Amino acid sequence: MAELSLQHLDKIYDNNVQAVFDFNMDVKDGELIVLVGPSGCGKSTTLRMVAGLEDISRGHLFLNGRDITKTPAKDRDMAMVFQNYALYGHMTIYENMAFSLTLRKEDKNVIHKKVMAAAEILDLTNQLNKKPNQLSGGQRQRVAMGRSIVRNPSVFLFDEPLSNLDAKLRGATRREILLLHKRLGATMLYVTHDQTEALTLADRIVCMSMGHVQQIGTPMELYDTPNNTFVAGFIGLPPMNFYPVTVKDGELAGQGFSVPLTEAERDTLSDYANKEIILGVRPEDMTEGGTLPVDVVTNENLGMNTLVHGYIAGQHGLNITAKLRGWKDYRNGDGVKLQFTRKHFFDKDTTNAIRKGAK
Amino acid sequence: MNEDMTIQQDRMRFEKNTASSRLALLAIVFNVFFFISIYKVNNSAYYTFWMGISIIYNLVFMLAAFLASEGAKNYKLGYSKLLTVLGIGQIVRIFILPAMMHATLVSEKIPQIEQEIVILGYHIPVMMDNVVMPAGQYIRVICYLALSALCLFASAVINQRKSKALAAHIANLSLRQA
Repeated sequence: MAELSLQHLDKIYDNNVQAVFDFNMDVKDGELIVLVGPSGCGKSTTLRMVAGLEDISRGHLFLNGRDITKTPAKDRDMAMVFQNYALYGHMTIYENMAFSLTLRKEDKNVIHKKVMAAAEILDLTNQLNKKPNQLSGGQRQRVAMGRSIVRNPSVFLFDEPLSNLDAKLRGATRREILLLHKRLGATMLYVTHDQTEALTLADRIVCMSMGHVQQIGTPMELYDTPNNTFVAGFIGLPPMNFYPVTVKDGELAGQGFSVPLTEAERDTLSDYANKEIILGVRPEDMTEGGTLPVDVVTNENLGMNTLVHGYIAGQHGLNITAKLRGWKDYRNGDGVKLQFTRKHFFDKDTTNAIRKGAK
Repeated sequence: MNEDMTIQQDRMRFEKNTASSRLALLAIVFNVFFFISIYKVNNSAYYTFWMGISIIYNLVFMLAAFLASEGAKNYKLGYSKLLTVLGIGQIVRIFILPAMMHATLVSEKIPQIEQEIVILGYHIPVMMDNVVMPAGQYIRVICYLALSALCLFASAVINQRKSKALAAHIANLSLRQA
């Protein structure tokens, strides 16, 4: 069992640069938490603080109720999988996977059993006599995971493990990590900058930006009800479209266009009458047959869907990307009329989401 | 117990036969001690045909023993035979150069010289044969050769047993998979 509690964690470096601000989170036993955000947002720093590879400047870290803030990394009962695998090139795969247990002077027969069990889980049984340079990137990453599994730690930590892999391998290895999580039922903390990985792997996502936690929630919560424009724009592919609009006479008035509001939406924006807000619309929340005129620039056919890129008519500063169902053959200069099936509203000053009754 | 044996045998698929390998390397070390001792004779230049053969054999022996060490490390059964042959060679060598040197007088004119031996702190003068290789040195080189031979035989035996056990285990696994 492994329950983690991160309480008010701060990381301040010697040159007074603060990388992480007041990070709070409780991780339940068996959860897979994904820390996602752009480069430099503090996600890897947070992970390294949990691992014990970075000192915690302020705050406390608890594992199963025990304060491990000052506990050395080797005593925290956590195993880490690195982006660059960190395998020993002069050792065989078997020796790499057995290494941590060999250091602990465990019985050789016990080590063998654990290594063979991990190798079977990761389909590495036929590779055990090879050296790392004889394996593909995906296989090496599996070896790195196997090296963690044999230790049977309380918590697994993954630091962008798929970043060095090509797109096809990334998908396959991502599925393996998911299967591994289901099989082991272990608590996992996973860091990535790829929101697709976050959405597909996570039980809960922690979205970070510039050292601050923007939102913690399930993938559906972050997708469906983002807390602010950062989360809304980061989660979802293609990213959300944002437009400054004014709430006026029951509709949203933008620069050269207007969008009607439903009764419920008017209710939500009741405190924003005649005020400027930010309208957010996901590309997949648009359909044809509306009143919003769009000048098409390019078309990307994806098979079942088409990505249409263009400008809201006459307004070259207002880009729009719509994901329409079916195969479309729009050309540069074609016009199309769209409607929004779902809208998100954000406060212009705070960028926070406007929900029903909130100001 | 049975499970432990099976695991031990299975481990050999992934672990090297370091015991056998290291014994072979130790045999080389004892051989080095041997030829360092034997080439440092008692102020006599014992440069004969046999000395030349001995030097060449040392080089061949070290190469062969090293190869056998690497082969044994990887459970190659054939190298047990090589290790055994090298071990026999080391025993045979006792009766060639060291024996000859111990039996050869430095000078016919001075067949014996006074030497001092030390027993329990007492210095006792004795008359000893004035040979190319005195008794003390002779015993030492015999010990080095014997130890070298012992290491080679031990390496051969361990390699033989482990290689056969591993081969049987792999055959057993193949049968189960088939």
